[in-house]
Amino acid sequence: MADEGLPVIARFEVRRRSYLAPDGSVLRPLPAFASDSATLLALYRGMVLTRAFDLKAVSLQRTGRLGTYAVSLGQEAVSVGIASAMREEDVLLPSYRDNGTLLWRGTKMEEILLFWGGDERGNLSSGPAHDFPYCIPVGSQAPHAAGVAYAFKFRKEPRVAVCLFGDGATSKGDVWEAMNFAGVHKLPVVFVANNNQWAISVPLKLQTASETLAQKAIAAGFAGEQVDGNDVIAMRAAAEEAIAQARAGGGPRLIEAMTYRLSDHTTADDAARYRPPEEVQARWKEEPIARLRAYLVSQKVWGKAQEEALAAECQKAIEAAIERYLASSPRAAETMFDYLYAELPRSYAGQRAELGGGSSNG
Amino acid sequence: MAEVTLVESINLALARAMEEDGNVVVLGEDVGINGGVFRATVGLQQRFGAERVIDTPLAELLISGLCVGMAAQGLRPVGEIQFMGFVYPCIDQLVNHASRLRNRTQGRLSCPMVLRTPHGGGIRAPEHHSESTEAMLAHIPGLRVVIPSSPERAYGLLLAAIRDPDPVVFLEPTRIYRAAKGQVEDTGEALPLDVAFVLRQGRDVTLISWGAMVRETLAAADELAAHGIDAEVIDLATLKPYDEETVLASVAKTGRCVIVHEAARTGGFGAEIAALIAERGLTSLLAPVARVTGYDTVMPLPRLEQRYIPSASRIVAATRKVCEFA
Amino acid sequence: MRQFMLPDLGEGLEEAEIVTWHVNEGDRVVVDQPLVSVETDKAVVEVPSPQSGRIARLFGGKGDLIKVGAPLVEFAEDGQGQDTGTVVGELGQDEKAVREAPTPAPARTLQVLPAVRALARKLEVDLNLVQATGPGGTITRADVERAAKSLAEVGPAEPLRGMRRAMAQRMAAAHAEVVRTTVTEEADIEDWRKGEDVTIRLVRAIASACQAEPSLNAWYNAEAGERRLIKRIDIGIAVDTEGGLIVPVMRNVGERDARDLRAGLDRLRADAAARSIPPEELRGATITLSNFGMIGGRFANLVVVPPQVAIVGAGRIDQRVLVHNGAPAARRVLPLSLTFDHRVVNGGEAARFLVALKAALERAS
Repeated sequence: MADEGLPVIARFEVRRRSYLAPDGSVLRPLPAFASDSATLLALYRGMVLTRAFDLKAVSLQRTGRLGTYAVSLGQEAVSVGIASAMREEDVLLPSYRDNGTLLWRGTKMEEILLFWGGDERGNLSSGPAHDFPYCIPVGSQAPHAAGVAYAFKFRKEPRVAVCLFGDGATSKGDVWEAMNFAGVHKLPVVFVANNNQWAISVPLKLQTASETLAQKAIAAGFAGEQVDGNDVIAMRAAAEEAIAQARAGGGPRLIEAMTYRLSDHTTADDAARYRPPEEVQARWKEEPIARLRAYLVSQKVWGKAQEEALAAECQKAIEAAIERYLASSPRAAETMFDYLYAELPRSYAGQRAELGGGSSNG
Repeated sequence: MAEVTLVESINLALARAMEEDGNVVVLGEDVGINGGVFRATVGLQQRFGAERVIDTPLAELLISGLCVGMAAQGLRPVGEIQFMGFVYPCIDQLVNHASRLRNRTQGRLSCPMVLRTPHGGGIRAPEHHSESTEAMLAHIPGLRVVIPSSPERAYGLLLAAIRDPDPVVFLEPTRIYRAAKGQVEDTGEALPLDVAFVLRQGRDVTLISWGAMVRETLAAADELAAHGIDAEVIDLATLKPYDEETVLASVAKTGRCVIVHEAARTGGFGAEIAALIAERGLTSLLAPVARVTGYDTVMPLPRLEQRYIPSASRIVAATRKVCEFA
Repeated sequence: MRQFMLPDLGEGLEEAEIVTWHVNEGDRVVVDQPLVSVETDKAVVEVPSPQSGRIARLFGGKGDLIKVGAPLVEFAEDGQGQDTGTVVGELGQDEKAVREAPTPAPARTLQVLPAVRALARKLEVDLNLVQATGPGGTITRADVERAAKSLAEVGPAEPLRGMRRAMAQRMAAAHAEVVRTTVTEEADIEDWRKGEDVTIRLVRAIASACQAEPSLNAWYNAEAGERRLIKRIDIGIAVDTEGGLIVPVMRNVGERDARDLRAGLDRLRADAAARSIPPEELRGATITLSNFGMIGGRFANLVVVPPQVAIVGAGRIDQRVLVHNGAPAARRVLPLSLTFDHRVVNGGEAARFLVALKAALERAS
């Protein structure tokens, strides 16, 4: 547009938050919580457990004992960073690639396996009862998050809805409509766009022409910030700030977590079909676990012995969970009807009986 | 007790529900200050405040998605979609989430929401404002689909829908919003869901309908009496799940059945009822089951609209033919 | 073969010690699957696989030092993993072909409502005998009740069996195909000697007529549109038995004398009565004689049984007043009917045959 001396009536800015470089060195003064090594170690353990669990889930799938599964390899800092900033009374609305968040909030590993192993009981979850279950239609959880946040505001409760979705989801109307409404009503909701650069085989540059995902919030009337999603300290800090603001009535925020999907989209996908292995290998250099480890080691609060001990501890916990999962049997077929409605309507009693009684017709 | 129109009875039910339960929240486009384009929500925002009667942005998907989130958190949202022709962006939220939330979480979360929308044609409206695609929704497990045919039933069934712990799509027959009048006492008493209403007892043939078509069906029954045919008229009211027992008992008694709906013929909800009768009522049949329906065409613009919507005489003619079978 | 080098472990490290291999040579691995744990000064690090494939070779064992950038693992030629063809779940690859066997459209059935059907069953009324008066040709309750009343007044249904059933089927088939035309004549047999063997005379007369007009001793294949004239004359003789009509065949009539023919005919008759005629004897007739006159009747429009093209009927011999030598006289006459298939035999041929037949019969014994 030619500058005819027309006044600029709107500008925007998007900041990028990071604290640790890929090699673990410090870029700028760390937030307060980072001086507590216990906090950082908890974050580290959370990421390591998430990764170890994911990889074990993959081998279960490869050996026919689990259905399709989506690992979050390389994205552990996003999951764990966000979860660690939430309170129990807050509500999580995840996508389908957020097991790190679920684990942090108390969901048991065998429950996750049970769900992806094909049993709805996996969603009974030992995590907070008000957390939403996995959401597979991409982005459709965003309006739910706005509705949940509305309920909090309506009842004047100091609680926050945290909605996780990917870069692909930001192309969906659902996400826009939810953010737009959240902006109008200054709702206590934090939207986290986990930008792992890929939506199955579609790279970010085909997903949007927007320079950042964070700036999509500005169109909805609130702030967005981009965060190095492989820096768990940055993720935690950004989440803490956004959640606190929402809780205090300051309205919604969008956090764009910049990371990279180091794995295939799911266990049935083969990413080598659409992206070169060299690209993936290069991105490994930025991965979150090695990064925090390097920092912890430099702070002399972590070493080989602890690493091995942690690996062993994780393996033990994971194996135990797998055992419990594999020992479970499918629920009785007629229970398909049990949670269809609060009370099963009379007209379906016959079908239920057919499933249960083992009668051969139908 | 006052004489009210059907849309006024909706307004009464909403006000009553909001009065009784502080968790009931109304949301939709133009529902607040404007009272709804059909005045179904008139006065509610003034009485209960803007926090409980929300003028949403123009976003149907959002309205239905908000309802899911609110309902999971224990509110009782009543969303309004301005016309059934605009309900289709909600299908994702209704089918993928509202109908499944309880099942997906094995009861941990549930979805006590209501989505109201005007149904059917006959008001000389432009394209897309005359839809009757209830069969699409009645197919979805986990949903309820309810459609009243009178002010009394609109009042009682809407209260029941709002109080119900599961998602309900509440279809309101547009062309009788003002034309249907009845005595409605604002007692807060609900009518039962999942139950059909026998509006007229008869011996010779069972006429089944719902929504605005019930009025034409009752008019047809009167005309049939003059031809010596005593017709029983059933208002199905809840399409999903529907009252199979009442339907079968009636057909067992009369041996003949004519199903009337405004919606297009093929795959219309009448097909489900005909299938039920074929499966479980065949040996009582003295004549084939007939359906008097809209045609398998796009709902025409107003000039031809009255040719599309079944008239009382079409119902009479079809029923007389059915009664010719011994 | 693709080699995978030990990747940069960061922090300026140049080598690492192999702690544990997580895979063996020959294993199929997938992207990100942990291959090996290696130890640096700082930590034990797991190295994931960069691709899917089969491990051909591992470089080094537990305790060995590997330099960054040196080969760690070699993948086999059949490089990448198989394409699952999906992004969720599994696509089955069932090889079994699904057989489709389209069934022909069913015959038009009775239009009966279930309740009416039940009534018919209760009253033991055969729906095929009920006249339908309902809309669209449906059978009403009143129709069934009416049929029940009238059936009470007729005899019980008797299903056709055996020869009678076969006849019903055969005649229907013949009727459907053949274009029947009949010409008749009367043979004046007053000059026959007493005790003449009528059947044998007929048989020999037919043979003579066939020789005069061979086109009636033929087989016609309608489908192929082909006619075969047959030299040998094998006459089917219709014989009435207790069980019904059978038609045993007298072979090669044209070359047998009267005595031989008589003997043959007697044997056939006896065997027919005893129901001991082998099936071959009932096949292959080139023309048929129906001597129905033995029972009664003069002329008949008979049934030509394909692939034959003609049948001769002989009526009852009777006295008739004819003009003989210019004056009325009582003469014994033998009525003759010749039914032929007009698809393949023309009127002239038939007439000539009949004339020859008559002439042969009218010859003095």
